[in-house]
Amino acid sequence: MSETHTVEKAPVRISGTPTAQSDPVRGGSQRFRRQRAAMFGFIAPALLVYLVMVIAPSLQSIQISLTDWDGVNDAYNYVGLSNYEDILGSERFWNAVKNTLLLGLGSAVIVNVISLAVALLLDRLHHWQGFFRTIVYLPALVSGFIAATIWKYILNFNFGAVNTSLRDLGVPTWAHDWLGDSDIVVSVLLFLLCFTLGGNTTLIYLANLQSVPQELVEAARIDGASGRQVFRFVTWPMLAGAVTVNLTLAMIAGWTIFDQIMVLTSGGPGFISETMAFFIYKVGFGEYRAGYGSAAAVVLFIVVLVSTVVANRYMRSREIQA
Amino acid sequence: MSTTVPVRREPAEAQQGDPGRSTTGPLRHRTRRGTDHVRYTVGEVVSMAVLAVLVLVVSFPVLYALLNSFRTYAEITIDPMGLPTSFKLDNYARLFQETAYGEAVLNTLIITVGTIVLLIAVVPMAAYGIERIGGRTSRWVYLLFVAGLMIPFQVRMIPLVKAMNEVGLYSTLTSVILVHLGGAASFGILLYCSFIKSVPVEVEEAAHMDGAGRLRTFWSIVFPMLLPVTSAFVIIQALGLWNDFFIPLVFLDSTSAGTINVAINRMVGLLTSQWELIYTGAILALVPSIIIFAAFQRYFIKGMSIGAVKG
Repeated sequence: MSETHTVEKAPVRISGTPTAQSDPVRGGSQRFRRQRAAMFGFIAPALLVYLVMVIAPSLQSIQISLTDWDGVNDAYNYVGLSNYEDILGSERFWNAVKNTLLLGLGSAVIVNVISLAVALLLDRLHHWQGFFRTIVYLPALVSGFIAATIWKYILNFNFGAVNTSLRDLGVPTWAHDWLGDSDIVVSVLLFLLCFTLGGNTTLIYLANLQSVPQELVEAARIDGASGRQVFRFVTWPMLAGAVTVNLTLAMIAGWTIFDQIMVLTSGGPGFISETMAFFIYKVGFGEYRAGYGSAAAVVLFIVVLVSTVVANRYMRSREIQA
Repeated sequence: MSTTVPVRREPAEAQQGDPGRSTTGPLRHRTRRGTDHVRYTVGEVVSMAVLAVLVLVVSFPVLYALLNSFRTYAEITIDPMGLPTSFKLDNYARLFQETAYGEAVLNTLIITVGTIVLLIAVVPMAAYGIERIGGRTSRWVYLLFVAGLMIPFQVRMIPLVKAMNEVGLYSTLTSVILVHLGGAASFGILLYCSFIKSVPVEVEEAAHMDGAGRLRTFWSIVFPMLLPVTSAFVIIQALGLWNDFFIPLVFLDSTSAGTINVAINRMVGLLTSQWELIYTGAILALVPSIIIFAAFQRYFIKGMSIGAVKG
């Protein structure tokens, strides 16, 4: 193949007549076009799966949200925007929004603070840093689901380790129905969500801390900056990119927080600890109101989209200043 | 382990031996690689102690479950804070005999491996196609894919269940794999596209000239060069798929044994009294994650760092 290629081309270049000159150009564009077609062939399988599994159902969600479909029967009616009106007037939905903000976004911020603190500690080590980085990461291998399942039993009112220990220590009044008391359940959930050393988030902060130019830190120190000042005016601005990445990732995950709620409280007692993701699941599948659930899903999508774009824009602007 | 970002430190290196500064901060990075001859400082030892305590505290639930997986139901409920008297594997045996845990493990394995194989078959190729087409078209395709990162699973959940029911795939492992594929494609395209940008076109052109077709050029020349990003992608996906709870919960009903997490969740519902089996199941579910992490730790931390430093 390669031989014929060069043989074909050689006379063209030497001859130099107008027709011959245009030949390689046309040949090139043809090859280019064939290549483009091949490249679209490369994209096609992934694009097909993506369109069928993500884009099409997302759009269909909008359609279903305009109906009173129950999720089971074939028959349904279009009801206009009444599902949206119901949702926006529903106290239960707003409670779910409040919980999502507190549990999803609140925990996102707190976990980022914890991760940064752990990364700063790791960055101080000159011995055994690899070892400590590994053991700090290990707890993050436990999925939210597994951790929640274990906590559910540790926090059990009658036989749980926490309440039993409190009774044994002589302070039985401190024992609570941790997951069943509507006054404290959301705080307990927030605590459990923040009971982590960050895992990936910590690794990202650590990698960025280690890429802070050491000359800057030294220059600041020579100018008499204290450790705190170095962090505030040198390290922290240099971490802006990592903060953007970590907070964006944590925020997207936070908006859709589900596993822990499902396992620990199932949204209860009553509807007290529902989040938006749990609300959609419960309404759509548990209460046979697929149309209503879809409307809530569309609202969730809009919220995620707007907040991600706005937060990203804000945080990116901070990065440029830094 | 020492695969951290090798950066800066030209001027710093010159002062390596300066003993007067070894107790202060600025010297810290110089000895990260190579032999450590910096003395331990008070601050460093305190940091180590704090980290060790934090790890122990955060690991408490898992350690607690591990200890209790060796105890009987009576022991656990009578004395929740007691220690196991023996390390017999009775609970582990019972878990497989009395519940559908074994089948659930197999299902989880099929879903995890199946999804990853299919992802690797289509995603790198698509990302390559997007990067090589170039121009406005490829930008739009790229944005279309990446927009998926902002579409929560809940948004597509209800229509997908409806569609899976209509085509008769509901409550099959295939449905779970397909749903995962769509969800992971966005992240994959994002990751691979940013990496392929740095792969030189000349090598492929040479292979192409030598008569290799586009597909062969891709799989034999380009794909091996993507190994770093592939390993990061596979590890992240493997852990995510193994640990996923929501998608199998929605797409697998009681006709299926479910995945590990779904099976454990059903035990919570049905066998509320068999705490010992739930602890045992939870501990067993962690084993593959730990193996994956131990085996691929280097790639793992490197992969996190690649994505991170780029922002």
